[in-house]
Amino acid sequence: MSTTIQFPISRIEGHAKVVVNLDHGKVLNARFLAQEYRGFEQFLKGMPAEQMPVIVPRVCGVCSTSHHLAAVEALEDAYDVKPPPVAEKIRHLMMVGQLVQNQATSLFFFTLPDKLQATSIFGADESASKDVLGSISKKAMAVRKIGTELIAIAGGQFIHPVKAVVGGVVSGIDKAAAKEMRKKIKAAIPIACSLFDEYWQLSQKMTKAVGDWEGDDPFYYMIAVDKNDPTRPVDHVTMQKSDGSETVTFRPEDFRENLQFHQVQDSFSAKTSFNDLPIRANSLARMNLIESMGTPIANGYLERFRVQFGSPAHQILLFDLCRGIELINGLERADRLLAENLMDGEMSVPVEPRDGFGYGLVEAPRGPLIHHYQIENGLIVNVEFVIPTVHNNFSIERALTTMAKRFVHEDRIDMGLDSAMGWVVRAFDPCIACATH
Amino acid sequence: MQFAVLQLTGCAGCEVSLLNAGDELDLAKLAYMPLVVSTHDVPEVDILLVTGGIRTDEDLFKLREAASKVKKIVAVGTCAISGGVAGLGDRHDIRKHFLATTHQGRVPRMLPKCKPIDTEAEVDIYLPGCPPVPDLYVKLLNDPGSLKTTSIVCKECGRRKPKDLRPTKLTESIHKDEDPNVCLVKQGQLCVGTSTRNGCGAPCPKAGFPCVGCRGPSNNLIEKDANAWFESLANVFRRMTDIDPEEINEALRSPHLALFLFQFSDYTETELESRPKEKVL
Repeated sequence: MSTTIQFPISRIEGHAKVVVNLDHGKVLNARFLAQEYRGFEQFLKGMPAEQMPVIVPRVCGVCSTSHHLAAVEALEDAYDVKPPPVAEKIRHLMMVGQLVQNQATSLFFFTLPDKLQATSIFGADESASKDVLGSISKKAMAVRKIGTELIAIAGGQFIHPVKAVVGGVVSGIDKAAAKEMRKKIKAAIPIACSLFDEYWQLSQKMTKAVGDWEGDDPFYYMIAVDKNDPTRPVDHVTMQKSDGSETVTFRPEDFRENLQFHQVQDSFSAKTSFNDLPIRANSLARMNLIESMGTPIANGYLERFRVQFGSPAHQILLFDLCRGIELINGLERADRLLAENLMDGEMSVPVEPRDGFGYGLVEAPRGPLIHHYQIENGLIVNVEFVIPTVHNNFSIERALTTMAKRFVHEDRIDMGLDSAMGWVVRAFDPCIACATH
Repeated sequence: MQFAVLQLTGCAGCEVSLLNAGDELDLAKLAYMPLVVSTHDVPEVDILLVTGGIRTDEDLFKLREAASKVKKIVAVGTCAISGGVAGLGDRHDIRKHFLATTHQGRVPRMLPKCKPIDTEAEVDIYLPGCPPVPDLYVKLLNDPGSLKTTSIVCKECGRRKPKDLRPTKLTESIHKDEDPNVCLVKQGQLCVGTSTRNGCGAPCPKAGFPCVGCRGPSNNLIEKDANAWFESLANVFRRMTDIDPEEINEALRSPHLALFLFQFSDYTETELESRPKEKVL
């Protein structure tokens, strides 16, 4: 007899649920199902290409910067233009701001409550000490705000930024504003470190509870960043098998030949695989495949991480710790970028729009993001978004299945199944608005 | 005073913006907001903020259920007020295909149109913006009486409008801020800040990017139809530039222009009544 157990999942971006399918009380599998859809790939058809950088950030309010920049880069690819160096730096800063914002949100607002057995970080519930939560949430909010302020000075708006345009950026960053921002960052770094240290401590207990895949089956890690600066996107995607035995790279325009897309009937999100194996993108993939963070404090954390967990490390909850390392790295990196001259020189190059194809690739907080546009008579006739959460979907379901089997027995279901399902999903920090778009 | 945030189909940008107001709000009073709080049902609260549009049957049921438990409803953001970006799926040319491909499977059922929330629940206050900036939430929740945004974005932008500078044509598609002190309309850009309600602090035009009107029509225009808005913008360009009115007219009415996401996106093709200005913050 087949039955199901369902859980709504909160403290993630968007609407999704977990369904565990059982047969005579035994776990068959667990599914992660996206429950919302807007249809961007449909309704963008017929719109002027140059409107994409304004409209597509609205795919997601959490990772709008990634979509803003992927759109601009895809159009630059189609029109064959390169932005001037200062514009590249300002865009890089925008992405760093987004990384800080996202990793702080995921770390402190989404997953920290799990570690404190609270329903939220704000202390509305009675289960956790209000004083402890109150002081943590204030600090966490301050650190997170650095990220949104960085997006705002580099991108104009802190959500749905506007400053990147085809050919460059509309304006630079004023020296006084940069100086002021650096001061805030310097003050925030020790606060972020102390929060992360506390988080690391609290994580120790849980790390044991969520291990590897069942049977350690192989899968692929996926990144699109510089191996000595994981905040800097590169022009190709790297796939590496979990045991390190195989490394493949491909350019964004070749994604169809390299990735398999699986549509499903019970979710608005597709799933991708590589060589028919699951993929893991996001923080742990980056930490496993890079050589260095490129900044001193973050490098210290990475070293400590590798000593404690090995390299590559595969435990699911380590995604969370990697996000903390990246948060610190983002703050250090932003400080360095702001020390450069971001005000003088040409901000953009002339652009001659033309028809054709364009591909944009950025490393979003959740992994490599590709936008593809086909343009005819200046209008979009075809759009494809290749979304990091979609790459992770098979891995999420595999981890959920492993976890469900620990809690569900033929004669009973152990307490805590619902929380454990939440930990697994949040470790991947899925973004449902992006995944379904 | 407890409050809750119901997220319908949207991008979570409104929630992220609310988090940014966290220093000045008492978020311990946030009883429900699935993005950051694990409570699965909307509790009985004084104020319910609703974000996102009604896109699926699930959105509809959630809104109806929540509406029955709360004292006051605030429609937050463009999607809840007009359908916003999700509402672009209602375009005639793609709707058929759109619904045909999304009606299958065991997922929430897509409704024929993406609806603003006031078609299903009585809305007490509208807080437009994509997203509304954090300061607007602070005023809304801490001191709604202080929130009077009766003017236009230009008031907060502060760029100069030199009388002798009169562009003769709109700039090419690329946006470029030639002079950070000079009004973007005076630089030949299709900025609609002159008809858009203020309260956002004008971050986009200040950064050199023309206002796309995400806060919606200003008080002078909000109770009128889309034609009055076109007319008002055309007048602005006539007064401030020497650009051929035909060129402006064509550019403004380009049906797929990004600004159609926001300004009047809900009035142009529906029978919706305009919102009374006393209710719009």
